[in-house]
Amino acid sequence: MGLTSMLHRLAARHAHVLLVETPGHWLTRVAAEHHLLDRGWRLAQSPADADVLAVCGTPGVELATVADRLWQQMPGPRVRIGIESPEQVRHALDIAEADLRDITRQQTDSRVRRGGRGDQTRPDGHPTGGHGPHGDHAKGGDEHAGHAGHAGVAHGDMDMAPAGIPLANRGEDRDGLELDVLHVRLGPVLAYWPAGLVLRCTLSGDVIVDAQASLTDPSHRTPEHDSASRSGRLFAARRCDNAASLLALAGAHDAASGARQVRDILLDPDGAADAPARLARLTRTVRRSWLLRWSLRRLGSLSRSDLVNRDLPDTLEGDAHDRLLGMLDRASRAVAEESSHRATGQPTVPVEAVAELVRGWDLATARLIVASLDLDAAAPAREVSRV
Amino acid sequence: MSDPSVTVVPAFWALGAAGLLGLLASVAAIVDGLLSARAAGAAAGTGWSRPAGEVARLMWQRRRATVAADTLLWRTGGAGLLVMALMIVTVVPLGAWTLFDLDVGVVWFNAMDVLAWAFVWLTGWGANSAHALVGGYRFLAYGLAYELPLMFALVAPAVAASSLNVGTIAAAQQGLWFVTWMPLAFLVFCMGVLAIAMWGPFSAAVAPDVAGGVSAELSGVDRLLFLGGRYALLAAGAAFAVPMFLGGGAGPLLPAWLWVLVKTLALLAALVWLRRRLPVVRPDLFMEIGWVVLLPAVLLQDLLVAGIALARS
Amino acid sequence: MYAGAVGMALVAVLIVAGLYLAHRALAIVAAPLTCLPFQSGWPPEEHALSRHHVRWYLATLLFLAFDVEMLFMYPWAVVVAQMGATALVEMFIFLGGVFVAVLWAWREGALRWV
Repeated sequence: MGLTSMLHRLAARHAHVLLVETPGHWLTRVAAEHHLLDRGWRLAQSPADADVLAVCGTPGVELATVADRLWQQMPGPRVRIGIESPEQVRHALDIAEADLRDITRQQTDSRVRRGGRGDQTRPDGHPTGGHGPHGDHAKGGDEHAGHAGHAGVAHGDMDMAPAGIPLANRGEDRDGLELDVLHVRLGPVLAYWPAGLVLRCTLSGDVIVDAQASLTDPSHRTPEHDSASRSGRLFAARRCDNAASLLALAGAHDAASGARQVRDILLDPDGAADAPARLARLTRTVRRSWLLRWSLRRLGSLSRSDLVNRDLPDTLEGDAHDRLLGMLDRASRAVAEESSHRATGQPTVPVEAVAELVRGWDLATARLIVASLDLDAAAPAREVSRV
Repeated sequence: MSDPSVTVVPAFWALGAAGLLGLLASVAAIVDGLLSARAAGAAAGTGWSRPAGEVARLMWQRRRATVAADTLLWRTGGAGLLVMALMIVTVVPLGAWTLFDLDVGVVWFNAMDVLAWAFVWLTGWGANSAHALVGGYRFLAYGLAYELPLMFALVAPAVAASSLNVGTIAAAQQGLWFVTWMPLAFLVFCMGVLAIAMWGPFSAAVAPDVAGGVSAELSGVDRLLFLGGRYALLAAGAAFAVPMFLGGGAGPLLPAWLWVLVKTLALLAALVWLRRRLPVVRPDLFMEIGWVVLLPAVLLQDLLVAGIALARS
Repeated sequence: MYAGAVGMALVAVLIVAGLYLAHRALAIVAAPLTCLPFQSGWPPEEHALSRHHVRWYLATLLFLAFDVEMLFMYPWAVVVAQMGATALVEMFIFLGGVFVAVLWAWREGALRWV
């Protein structure tokens, strides 16, 4: 008993957290990230890796459904917490740790979840399906839902939809080959992904042949929590956070951690005064890394005329590497001009433009391009509310 | 058997070798934990206990299976990496002792390291998950580009020692370590080790942009085996570099077996540290680099080494 | 001679089996949980197991050609010092020939897949 309880204590001290960011609750997510890393916890990349599901802000219906689905995919022991504001983070994480260590609670939770598919993991509501909501089916009780009328040539298989999920269909490809294409959605919950954005990608291999962009809960838009206090520091922190995402996706771990730390200092009201110096040092490191330049240059290049045609802000000129340096430069300038900075926020990027920019690239490159767009979570919202 | 300087130890020492590899892998995990805790600004104490905490977490965590997964292949792939690493260290002599004194030890290493292609791909394929599949796909793309330079890099020490036996190759470096006159082959070998372990610049197969790629759907002991396998491969690769390039047990004062361990640890720590410093090499870019830059460079290195070996004999 | 390798294979199997057994004893629930694969919180639209498009297909063919070449390289490595300059020249003329094919394939775009 002594050994197992030690095991549980040790495990709970090193929990992995999957963060769900409701658009408009950027500050809450950032605070959560800061505090959990501070405790030695880590960010989970997928529900399989997560012990704690932390929902930052009040999600709309769609995002709540997404969070529910992720919750069902977590293996357990598992804890779900909602964090409404940055001030609540510390308390919420304490509760999460206590709940993780509550053995009886965890055992009760895990035991009612059956080994089979019964755990409400039905693939409901997928757009190709003509089937309505079906009840919890027990293990093995797979439904051969009516996918026979699926467009395109299906496999010569009797079972068109094992486990209620249809098989992939063929699609025309660049090389004239007819192989299967997959439809994969990126976002809203994905590491280093802009909050609320969803890209439905058609993948042939790992290349995106087509993409449609949308936003979760377009009508449920909480006003940006921090809009009242838009200061130069906040603007700069936002740029640092986006730069950290891009650096993390590019695999530059130390630089990403550096950007994250500058961000946290900028957001802390009594943060150290050396933020400008640290930012300058980070910019120098990034500028000097030729490997980073090599992997980011020529990605998603946008000329001035492209920007005009697509109704994109001037700050996006150049390739992903230029945009990364631009983010850091703008952050530096915003910190320097703190008092006089008329923070207008980032100009908006229409969501359709995001989809257009990733078409034809492979998944890794597409992620780098999206991260290089320096999106504010709320930015694409205006565009969609126009519809 | 071909080299009197190496004694074959009885088979039960396999336990000892496995324990040693486990120790090295743990050290690698602790170094990585310390480095990443420091970079994240986490409380100082958490870095040390990170590997232990991770093991505790994963042993407590439930396993997962995805809908309609190819379970047999999936699990084979996940456990395979660790098995591979263990099989690699059988041919690495620890000073004067070896478990398996194979005439073609270098070929054995190649045969084992190519298994990574199968295991990583199967782990990605078996989960029936798009992200994991893309991860496996990226690994094979790396593989096509790193494997040939890696093989040709291993030929260089073999040419210099006129043998494919690992013990003989180590013994041939008593005067001068091979790394000093075939540095390029050494660097390419280290790159291959990083790639096999999906580490640092070659971690696109387990990258966050595809939610952990190959490992996206793993939990519990399945994940533990996969992660442990990666560390073990890193350690086994570093251990193999010692007899091939770093003079084996050669060194002053300390006994030969200790020198092997010290050199392995030093190289392993360097490889672990690299992860945080270098960005990920995109698989599509690396394909061209591997074929058009690394391959001819390593071939020239082989030519040079063969020329020197000829002149010497 | 093979005893060491067989011994290690046994140890490897024992380690894997031991870990699985320990997990059975320690895990919160021993039976695995079956759930849908992660797709950013959406249900998958189709099974990922499919006739997947391997876009580096041409590179695999090139790889095979070179990989077979490796078979000559191993025995050659052992004897080149004794065989003298002829062995060296012959091997590198051959390698050069194969490498020209690589350059041609590269020019044809076989090494790009995006």
